[in-house]
Amino acid sequence: MLGVEGLAGPLGRAALLVGLIAAFFGLIAAVMGTRNEDEKVLRLVPRFATLSCVSAIAAFAAMEWAMITRDFSLAYIQKVGSKSTPALYNFTAVWSALEGSILLWLLVLTCLTSGIVFKYRDRITDPMVGWALATMFFVGIFFFILTLGPANPFAAGAPGVLDGPGPNPLLQNHILVVFHPPILYLGYVGMTVPFAFAIGALITGRVGEGWLVETRRWALFSWGFLTLGIILGSWWSYEVLGWSGVWAWDPVENASFIPWLTGTAYIHSVLVQERRGMLRVWNLSLLVSTFSLTILGTFLTRSGVLNSVHAFSESNIGPYLLSFFAIIVVVSVGLIGWRGEKLHSPGTIDSPLSREGAFLANNVIFSVFAFVVLLGTVFPLIIEALQNRQLVVGEPFFDKLAVPVGLTLLFLMCIAPVLPWRKASGELLSTRLFWPAWGGIAALAFSVGVGATGLAPLLTFTLGGFAGGAALRQLVLATRRQGLRGLVGRANGGMVVHIGVILIAVALAASNSYTHSQELLLKQGVVATFDGHTFELTGFKTESDDRSTVVAALIRIDGGKSYAPAITKFKSMGTNIGTPSVKSSFVKDIYLTVEPPIKVSSNSVKIKVFIKPMVMWLWIGGGLMGIGTLLSAFPGRRRKPTDATSAPVPSEASA
Amino acid sequence: MKRLKSWPVWMLMGLIVVALLTVGTTRDNGPLTQSDRIDSITKHIACPTCDGESVYVSRASAAEAIRNQVAREVRAGTMTDDEIIGSIANTFKAQVLLVPRATGVDSLVWIMPIAVLVCAVAGLWAAFRRWRRDNSGEASSDDVALVEQLLAEDPSDEDNV
Repeated sequence: MLGVEGLAGPLGRAALLVGLIAAFFGLIAAVMGTRNEDEKVLRLVPRFATLSCVSAIAAFAAMEWAMITRDFSLAYIQKVGSKSTPALYNFTAVWSALEGSILLWLLVLTCLTSGIVFKYRDRITDPMVGWALATMFFVGIFFFILTLGPANPFAAGAPGVLDGPGPNPLLQNHILVVFHPPILYLGYVGMTVPFAFAIGALITGRVGEGWLVETRRWALFSWGFLTLGIILGSWWSYEVLGWSGVWAWDPVENASFIPWLTGTAYIHSVLVQERRGMLRVWNLSLLVSTFSLTILGTFLTRSGVLNSVHAFSESNIGPYLLSFFAIIVVVSVGLIGWRGEKLHSPGTIDSPLSREGAFLANNVIFSVFAFVVLLGTVFPLIIEALQNRQLVVGEPFFDKLAVPVGLTLLFLMCIAPVLPWRKASGELLSTRLFWPAWGGIAALAFSVGVGATGLAPLLTFTLGGFAGGAALRQLVLATRRQGLRGLVGRANGGMVVHIGVILIAVALAASNSYTHSQELLLKQGVVATFDGHTFELTGFKTESDDRSTVVAALIRIDGGKSYAPAITKFKSMGTNIGTPSVKSSFVKDIYLTVEPPIKVSSNSVKIKVFIKPMVMWLWIGGGLMGIGTLLSAFPGRRRKPTDATSAPVPSEASA
Repeated sequence: MKRLKSWPVWMLMGLIVVALLTVGTTRDNGPLTQSDRIDSITKHIACPTCDGESVYVSRASAAEAIRNQVAREVRAGTMTDDEIIGSIANTFKAQVLLVPRATGVDSLVWIMPIAVLVCAVAGLWAAFRRWRRDNSGEASSDDVALVEQLLAEDPSDEDNV
């Protein structure tokens, strides 16, 4: 096109090579400058970081350019490009398969590295910052090598190819493909920053609480994006896949969930270290686990060793990722061992019935949860290695183990927010838990009153009401003292996150336990009834373009608005993809799918109706988690740690 | 207000919870639709040609075939859910089951989480015991020796002790 066809490949490769060289020299400058305390050399680090970042941006832009101009000289474009893909999905096709995903990872990583350099530009001579940057450059080099080697998006394709199949149909069917992968990657890649500072702290021996303070917001930022990415992924699954669920314990889903679990444990236990100077080794281990699990998850789902409906590609990057994972673990464990004496915590926990005791219990449960999900995910590999036979570990296994773990976590969310640091008396607990406990009873009574059954969901509603009461109590007390400012800060923002988690738990319990479904054969002009709702086929709508043919059945629900579940046939692939249509309300969703094939001439259609209670509260809960994370990132007004808990919080002027 | 929060009130709350849970868990849930039963059964069966998806989730033709087979058995009404899952497992071999068996090597997937949980809780309990011992507040012989040494060094402070 315009005489530049075929240029994207060489430009992209050149940009990646320049980026690799810049990252390599950045690493050398950071290490040598820090070791020799040479400020002149260290002043070069920002330049290399910027060059590496600009190179990654240029490579990504070249890839987008190749995609937009349909440059079929590249193997990647032959794989995921198509002349018939609409502009939006053509843009997102860049991250629709392995090579582009790694390029997106690299883009985020180099931008974060530049961000860190910018933030610490006045402290570039600080050895901890120097080693943290060296670590980030090291990770960057690895991803540059991947993009130049086994996951090269600019590799030349077979000659003479004039069109391609386009991205996987599931990746050109919903707007969330624009947001979910980049946001998830911000979470994944963001974990590199606290990990890098942890390594910096270990190398410099400054393993006190300073590095935690430096990285608190970065950890929260990454965790928030990971949370948002997971929620958006669930929403996408619900809106696109047509099985009416939000989470199937698929390996790719698990790969994002496991680091989320260890990350969640970390953002709780880090408070104990900041406040009491304890759990140093544990917190370092959690950070190393979280970062290394993002790499292990990528290995498991991208190398082809585990099958997943979301993997979208297979490749030979497995050995690279596994080696990198091994290096991270060995180096981190080695450094922790080397600094063993310095990591000895000076404090002790006075009583299990204390805030720090609850955080420890929370950490145990989160870690066991992470282990269960990891074990279930890799168990088929273990069985194949031991007995050379195939095994599938699916949703029922995870559900069976996740329910007791989830209930235990909800119980901790009832107690922990009201616990003081150090020690709590029975009388104090009785006073603080009294009204939240009534909240739990009210939730249970309401649930039973509206006909809820089953032990697990009823316990979820009870504990949800109890935990919600505990979180609200904290927020009411804080806002009574400080007005709306009381919603800001780590503790109070955290309570908003808790309320979001509770809403999600309650919504999951309700939608998983009380979903009803029915297949209906609808004939035009005849009204069918299910679960108190009427369904009437009013007609069909067919749309066709170069890419696909969409046939939708128009179904009027309860005599009101028509909904249009559809079947999309992708011409180049011959694949039929069902698209559900959902009538949402705060009480329940009516989820419609249509069974292929749709024969318009028959004036009838077979649909499946799912009545799913409370699904909307999943998304509201997810939104609250995001808002709560944002509120947590701002510093709230706090007492001095040395003050008595009865001491007043400083006023605006003195804060 | 203090009396309101005393232990008899907590006992009453506990009794209310037990009573409500008993009502909620023992009352008749109403009959499942055939579709609900089919959904419940197919959630336990893996699609043999898919990437780890259940028959319930998958839209592949192999999953569709199994779904139809399950639907026929449910409509016939002669087998329980477990019997239907067993018959599918016999047809397609046990690898279509999404829940690993609790026998042989497969049982490890059930045992290991419990073992890890027990170890973690035991570790936590041991840690709390150690911390409690460290916090016992009793002066060690080193502490006593240190105080005696300081007192010996500065006898003028004796009156202030």
